[in-house]
Amino acid sequence: MSITDLLWRFPSVQMAWRNLGRNPVRTALATLGIVIGVVAIASLGMAGAALQQQATSDLGGLTNEVTISAGEDNDNRGLTDNQIEDIRTIAVGSTVVPQKSNFTTLSARNGEEARVRVTSVTEASALYDVSIGESPNRLQSGALLSESTADRLGLELGDPVAYDGQLYRIQGLIESSQGFGSGGANELVLPMAALSDQEYYDSVTVLTDSGDLASALTTDLEAWFNEEDDEVVSVTNFADLQEQIGSFLDTLNLALLGIGSISLVVASVAILNVMLMSTIERRGEIGVLRAVGIRRGEVLRMILAEAAFLGVLGGIVGAAASLAVGLLIFHLITDSASLVFEWQSSRYLVYGFGFAVFASVISGLYPAWKAANERPVEALRE
Amino acid sequence: MSVIELIDVVKRYQNGEELIEVLKGVDFHADDGEMVTIIGPSGSGKSTMLNMIGLLDTPTEGIVRLNGREVTDFSEDELTEERRSGIGFVFQDFHLLPMLTATENVELPSMWDTKVDRRDRAVDLLTRVGLGDRLDHKPNQLSGGQRQRVAIARALINEPKILLADEPTGNLDQDTGATILDELTRLKQDENIAIVSVTHDEQLLEYTDRVVRLVDGVIQK
Repeated sequence: MSITDLLWRFPSVQMAWRNLGRNPVRTALATLGIVIGVVAIASLGMAGAALQQQATSDLGGLTNEVTISAGEDNDNRGLTDNQIEDIRTIAVGSTVVPQKSNFTTLSARNGEEARVRVTSVTEASALYDVSIGESPNRLQSGALLSESTADRLGLELGDPVAYDGQLYRIQGLIESSQGFGSGGANELVLPMAALSDQEYYDSVTVLTDSGDLASALTTDLEAWFNEEDDEVVSVTNFADLQEQIGSFLDTLNLALLGIGSISLVVASVAILNVMLMSTIERRGEIGVLRAVGIRRGEVLRMILAEAAFLGVLGGIVGAAASLAVGLLIFHLITDSASLVFEWQSSRYLVYGFGFAVFASVISGLYPAWKAANERPVEALRE
Repeated sequence: MSVIELIDVVKRYQNGEELIEVLKGVDFHADDGEMVTIIGPSGSGKSTMLNMIGLLDTPTEGIVRLNGREVTDFSEDELTEERRSGIGFVFQDFHLLPMLTATENVELPSMWDTKVDRRDRAVDLLTRVGLGDRLDHKPNQLSGGQRQRVAIARALINEPKILLADEPTGNLDQDTGATILDELTRLKQDENIAIVSVTHDEQLLEYTDRVVRLVDGVIQK
């Protein structure tokens, strides 16, 4: 059985296809409208998905972090060893990294000076990634310095930096962070002993395994240390921030899709126009169909099939074009074009196609209904 | 037996303020194997009468019977079924669909009946009207006479009891018209159907069994 024979089993589809073929230019133009609509919806949707993707990866591990520092009602203006122990007990299973911090000015032999934040920490590797050298698990005697600061001061791996009369050899250079959060420019990381004259810890970073754990830990810590009117510690995590950014991006995405939909609405009005014109032109012909006994429902299906064909054609071409646009968007925003195939973004291709067919069929309803219900006598009088 | 009967049929149209009575109590019938021709000046109501016979229009007053069954009060959908199964149409302008081949045009009235395959009958009918070698031609590849033959084959695809022809030779030259009329006469006998035609063409009267004259919506005895 050939494809033509198979098509004859669906006479409405077959007739619709032949009818569209009679005026290829008009069919192509109507389809083009739909293509543009689909591309608008799908590529704006995918752009939103790409932004979301990128925001999530920028926040990255930060959302798993909980940071604890002295609260408003903390008399010590810092965290005590006992409090650190409490935190370790509550956050069992997670990495707890206490830190002290200060500021200092580094001066170099070349005459440059740099104001840096000094952080003393033992578990340096948990917080800092280095591009050159190493980030030790237990920082005992060396130092880590931001790469950009080192550049400016003309310092290299193995060079000494002075703090509080002591010299520390640079063990690693901290790479500039791409996203938010700690680890960036103007950081000097020293062993705990360097700030031993400060009694209390300025902050504690807890690294958990997931954003959910971080949220739960935040609640637990606040319950443990703080009373209603007595904020001993301030606990922050980025899970809330991520949620806020996520909800903002959702809104943005919806707005983008809304803008995209307008073009599809315009396209479906164009289809309505084309279908109406072509049924009016074929008024006599449809009258003949009705006269020789073609039922109203059959005429209706034939015209609807024409509209659906325009939608399917436009949808397929539009989805293909959108995929190309999507690859480009993801390449530009996230550097990984293949992410476009993830359901989170590729679903917009499906939505675009679905909306195209839906909008076309809706636009075909009125012309189809009008053609089907014309009295054959009137139609034949042409 | 009468295939189609009009009994005291009146048709009025509202034309703006004016009420026009096109048919003023028409009695008519056509029998198996009979060719009846309706003639009359333009505006006499011939086309309206043919529309009544073809169940394309319903009378304001009076009765229409098809194969002895009253169909006067049938709904549009019921009338469509009757036209589909019992009536064939041939038009002056042929009215073939340009994107379909001759065979497909002939199959058209039964195209949506996917359960029955009318392909063989379509080919057979086209062969019988002398178009066995034009089966896959589109209408614009056929001459006027050939197109009208395709239209006749289309009218017969569902084995109707009655064939209606509105000026069937109106757009054809004398010789072609004559062959079409020969064709109709032969089919009338072969298929034992009634043929009702409307015409201005004197030539058609030679082939007809009975002539009905309509003047101002009234049949002249």
